Amino acid sequence: MTLENLTHAAEPIGLDDDIEALGIYQVYTGSGTGSGFLIDATHLVTNCHVVQPYRQVAVEMRDRTRILGTVQRLDPHRDLAVVELSRPVDGAVLELSDVEQMRPKQAVHILGFPVGLPLSLTEGVISHPRQLLDEQYFLQTDAAINPGNSGGPMLDDHRRIIAVTTCKLNAADAVGFGIPVADVRRFVDAFRAQTSAFGVQCPACQELIGAPLRYCPSCGLDLERQHDFGEFFDTPDPHPLVGFVENSLAGAGIDPVLARHGNHNWSFHVGSAPIKVWCCCSDHLNFSSPMVQTGTRGLNELFKFLLAAEHAPFSFDLNGTTIRLNLVVHISDVFASQEHAALSARVKQFIAKADVTDNLLIEEYGCVPAPETQVEFLKGAEHDEAS
Amino acid sequence: MPIASLQLPQPIRRRHAIAPRDFGRRDRAIELYEAGEFHDSVCETLAYLLPGQGVPDLRREAFSFVQGSARVRIHIDGDEIVLCTVLAALNADSQATAALRFFLTRLSSTGQMFQPRLRGEEISLEFRDQLALMHPTKLIEVLQRMPMEADSNDSWMVTQFGVAIPDREPIAPLEDEEFARAIEIWNSHWNAVDELILESRRRRSVRFLDAVGSFAAYHLRYTLPLFGTIRARLNEGADDFTDRDEHPNKRDSALAKCIKDMRRCSEDELRQCLGHATYAINPLQEGTPSLLTSTLGSGNRMQTTGELRATGRSMEAALELISDYLELLAHYSWSPEVESALRVGLNLVSGKAWREAADVLWNHANATSRVFGSHGEHDREDEETEAHYDA
Repeated sequence: MTLENLTHAAEPIGLDDDIEALGIYQVYTGSGTGSGFLIDATHLVTNCHVVQPYRQVAVEMRDRTRILGTVQRLDPHRDLAVVELSRPVDGAVLELSDVEQMRPKQAVHILGFPVGLPLSLTEGVISHPRQLLDEQYFLQTDAAINPGNSGGPMLDDHRRIIAVTTCKLNAADAVGFGIPVADVRRFVDAFRAQTSAFGVQCPACQELIGAPLRYCPSCGLDLERQHDFGEFFDTPDPHPLVGFVENSLAGAGIDPVLARHGNHNWSFHVGSAPIKVWCCCSDHLNFSSPMVQTGTRGLNELFKFLLAAEHAPFSFDLNGTTIRLNLVVHISDVFASQEHAALSARVKQFIAKADVTDNLLIEEYGCVPAPETQVEFLKGAEHDEAS
Repeated sequence: MPIASLQLPQPIRRRHAIAPRDFGRRDRAIELYEAGEFHDSVCETLAYLLPGQGVPDLRREAFSFVQGSARVRIHIDGDEIVLCTVLAALNADSQATAALRFFLTRLSSTGQMFQPRLRGEEISLEFRDQLALMHPTKLIEVLQRMPMEADSNDSWMVTQFGVAIPDREPIAPLEDEEFARAIEIWNSHWNAVDELILESRRRRSVRFLDAVGSFAAYHLRYTLPLFGTIRARLNEGADDFTDRDEHPNKRDSALAKCIKDMRRCSEDELRQCLGHATYAINPLQEGTPSLLTSTLGSGNRMQTTGELRATGRSMEAALELISDYLELLAHYSWSPEVESALRVGLNLVSGKAWREAADVLWNHANATSRVFGSHGEHDREDEETEAHYDA
């Protein structure tokens, strides 16, 4: 073999501009967001800490629609999880590398959703292929890792998975860690052989446990005392605020699991209108729909319409050029449980108003869709079906 | 030759003679609300927030009160309570589009219960909700913040957009003698700040810049009854130059810009922005013994100030202490004894050289904290975080 051939053989496949086609998706829960990658058309691997303590999560597709994911297997010790998707998806399944020996300075490509941004690529090198940390081996890299990257794949130049992003050292610069591919492969192989709907691996012997046991039936480890195993089988009672929001959303026909967007945050679309729900402080729960942007003409009439008293209890505001429809609920009302029905009705009314008002503002006042508007649902038959 | 001392004149701004709040009434209002006595809960909340002022039976008659230049009206409409304060009226001469954009951008917002509402050509800040959803904490928030927004913006909107203010409470102008004294304070203040910023640049100390910025903002808030455009511009500048998270260079520039802007104000402009307003709800936060202890007592901050003084950096030490006294007087209401003690401290150091001022005020601060501070007992500071503003 000539030197040229060697060079050609080693030429990286690269991750040019087709990352959108890869089967890497954002995972949403009531605690935060993370990343995950397909191991087949209906299963996703991510970190255990991304999905914990939820058994159902939302997975967002490229077109920003979300589908339900059900957690099927957890390895809390190695921080891995498998999620089954409610329908097959067509993203490209990445190959798990069979190269056991990684080298320092070897290139690493990290894909994921840092700080909630769309799918992003960061690059670096392997700083240490087998770094010992907390009695486990990790692949250490200098590539940028941020919250939201957790559970995403680390790839080599040949687009093969060499690790799963899991954590970084906050007190240091450019010290990130991935779970080595050999451990990932073992976890996936064990999942393939799994017959039960849900199980958690024993931290000591990897035995799959399907019920909240005190002791591991295989190795006798005290699961409850050392590892709070019961928490993996119990859905915690929701905070009253979460209970109120999610009951209200369900009453308006929105699946609250699909709407979750981190702690005390929800986001979803109704027809064409994006809607966000969040707490800005200890006193206010905000529902807001950044629906359209102002046009260039007829602004006086538009502004008068937006400020008209008839919109109460809702209101509009301008954030830059984006028009938002808002509803503010005081937290004291959330705890006045006898009034929940009236408040939930108000939330339902808000959602319905958001869905129709964006069309009105575009048609009557020359506004243009906002970046988050789902334009395919603006007006017309599809819109009617969706709403 | 750097500035040798600071003049700290008696304030022209009047203290608000407002009866102290009875927190028991607020607790009673919450009990009434939880028992389903919604109307009585609203009345009890008003009695708590407006001590000593008769609150009528809202089912029979509306109630109104004055907060600075804002007139607030409260009435019950069926099973709903309505709070309203008129902001402005658009007219043929006003820049209507700019004004409406301002309402939508700056006054309408998430994170607040009241919103601007347009009826015809008149815009008001309004809050309307069912009595059954009127928890006292929510009502207190609306009653404090809504008039504050109206009071802060009305004069400014007239200047900027040419709108009319159809329902504005007039603010009593200063008497001639007061105005003459105000001009003297104004000029002397900005001369001093001008010299202090030069000193800050010479020393290149962020801590010194902190103290200069605090003095520039708190001294005027304490001494002059400013309102309207000039108060809005000063507060806008102070937001930047007192922001300790901002880069020092940016803060320095913001302060220099503010000094230039304020020095350009004519006597006529100042006359229009100085006056004695009345407030039904105490616009200041209530000062507590623990606040006195944490500011003037033996905390880290005072320890560092003490070290500055001990190492001969008297100017920094004195300026920090003076700024702390001014902040306590400008932003908090106190019993007459505490207020008098704080004022005595400023009297002792007005016009005194830095070293003497630092020594005298250091001893006075420690004594004040010992006499009026919390000494470790529980007080209500943590639970009382209701909105306040600079009046």
